[in-house]
Amino acid sequence: MMDSATIDLLVAEATLLSPRLRRVRLLAADGSRLPPAAPGAHITLMLPGGSGARPLRNSYTLVVADPERGYELIVRRAERSRGGSHHIHDRLAPGDVITASVPHNLFALHSQARKHLLIGGGIGVTPLLSFVTRLRETGARFELHQIASPAETGVFAQLLAARAGERIHIHAGRRDFDSAALLAAQPLGTHVYTCGPAALMDDVIAAATALGWPSSHVHREDFGAAGGEPFMLRLARSGIEIAVADDQTMLEAIEAAGVDTPSLCRGGACGVCLVPVREGTPEHRDHFLSAAERDAGCLVMPCVSRSSSALLVLDI
Amino acid sequence: MSNRPRYAPLALFSNARAHLLVSDRADLPAAGFAPGCTAADFAERWLVVMQPRVLPRPFDAAGEQRFRSASHLLAALGHRLAAETMGLRLYALGSEQFVWDVARVAHAAGMGAEEMHLFACGRPERRVWCVHCRTINPGVTTTLVACAGCGAMLGVRDHFSRTHNTWMGVQCDAEVPGEVPAIADLPA
Repeated sequence: MMDSATIDLLVAEATLLSPRLRRVRLLAADGSRLPPAAPGAHITLMLPGGSGARPLRNSYTLVVADPERGYELIVRRAERSRGGSHHIHDRLAPGDVITASVPHNLFALHSQARKHLLIGGGIGVTPLLSFVTRLRETGARFELHQIASPAETGVFAQLLAARAGERIHIHAGRRDFDSAALLAAQPLGTHVYTCGPAALMDDVIAAATALGWPSSHVHREDFGAAGGEPFMLRLARSGIEIAVADDQTMLEAIEAAGVDTPSLCRGGACGVCLVPVREGTPEHRDHFLSAAERDAGCLVMPCVSRSSSALLVLDI
Repeated sequence: MSNRPRYAPLALFSNARAHLLVSDRADLPAAGFAPGCTAADFAERWLVVMQPRVLPRPFDAAGEQRFRSASHLLAALGHRLAAETMGLRLYALGSEQFVWDVARVAHAAGMGAEEMHLFACGRPERRVWCVHCRTINPGVTTTLVACAGCGAMLGVRDHFSRTHNTWMGVQCDAEVPGEVPAIADLPA
C-alpha cells in the first residue's frame, strides 16, 4: 500500500501570479532535505476548515519538486471553495507551517514514449509544467496545448515561456482547439497526457479512442471533485447516518462524522479509499474501477463518487 | 524453463483506425485466422512472393502489395511506420523468425505489444545464439547444432529472446565432455 507518512512544511514564499493564481514555495519545517518526487507527483495539504469544521485535505501537484529549493505549488482561488483555496490565497503567509502527505505520483511520464503530447485546461497546467521541465532536461520530443480563458492566456504564456523550436500553443478557449485533428496527426509511439476540466479530458479521451489509440497511451489526471445532489449515507458497522451536502464529497462527510477511513489521492485515481456497498446504487465518478466492477455495484470510491439512490449503505 | 511464445490466430482489433497485415508467404494459411476472419478483412496486405518480377508500391492506395523477399518487406515496413500516425494495428503471419523481425521493426517505430498481433506457423526453424561465443547460427532445424563461431556442440534450449529473436544454445556436453545426446528434429 502507498505511504501515508506526513511531513511538516514551512511556507518560504507565496506570490500572486494573477488575481486568482497563487504560487507557494514550501521547505521542510526542520530544514532537512525534502523527499524527491518525479514529475506529475502531488501532495495533500491538511488545511484548516471553516469555523469549527474538521480540517480539509486538498491535493496539489508539485510544479517543482527540488529536495533543496523546495516544493512549488500553484493554487487557483476556486469560486465555490470549501475553504482550502481561500485559505491558501487569503491567510497563508511566509513562515506558516502546514502538514502534508509525502509526494505520491499517479500521473507519471512514460519513459518509452517517442513523443509526449500534453493537453492542459486552466489550472490543469500544473503537472504539465513539471513535465516540461523534465522533458527539456532529457531532450525528449513534446508538444503542449494549453487552453485558457481569454483573460488568462497572458499568465499561461508567461508560465510556459516557449523556447525556440518548441511546440507550445496557448488557446483562448475550447472553440479554438480541435483535439481530434491534433490526435490524428501524432506519430506512432506518442503518449497523450491531459489534465483540466472533466469535459476537456473526456473529449480528448473520446477522440483518442475513436482514432484507435491504445488505452495504455492515454493518461488523465483528475483534480477537484464536483458536487451533485445531496443524499443520505448510512455506515452499517458504525451505525451512523450522515447527510452528504451538495457541495461535499462522501469522503468529507464520513470524515466530518468522525469515522476514520483510508484515503490518498482524493481524486478517484488511486483506489485506496474503496469501501464496500451494502445497499443503494452508487454513481461512480472514479477512474479506478473497471466497467464490470462498476456494474456489480459492490464497491465505491467515496472521494469522488456519489449516490444515485436517496440512501447509500456502506459496510464501514 | 520454457518461455516459448504462444500464438492465437489473427483477428481484427476492434477500435483501430487502420489495419496492416504482413506475411513472408504469398499463400496465407487458413489456420492463421480466427473463425470468421479471412485475409480479405485486412484492408492492407503485404506479402512476400520470392520472385524478381515485383515492384512494391508501399505508399499507394490500400490493397495488396508484393515484395521480393522478407528483407525487402521489412525495409519498406520501417519506412512506412516512420510515416504512420497513432491508431494503426499491425498483424504478422508467417515463420517465427519473420514475425519477430516484424515485431522488432514495429517496436523500433514506437509500437507496443498492444498494437500488434503475431501468428507463427510452419516448420520450426530457429536462430540459435551461442551463449559461449555470441555467434548467431541461422536456420537451425535440429535439437543439436555445431556453433559456426566456436565449434561447440550446442543444445537448443526451449528459451527464446523476444529482443534478439534468437533461441538459447548451450554446449550440450559441458558437464561430461563427449557425452552428446541423440540429435532430433526440433518439435513443432
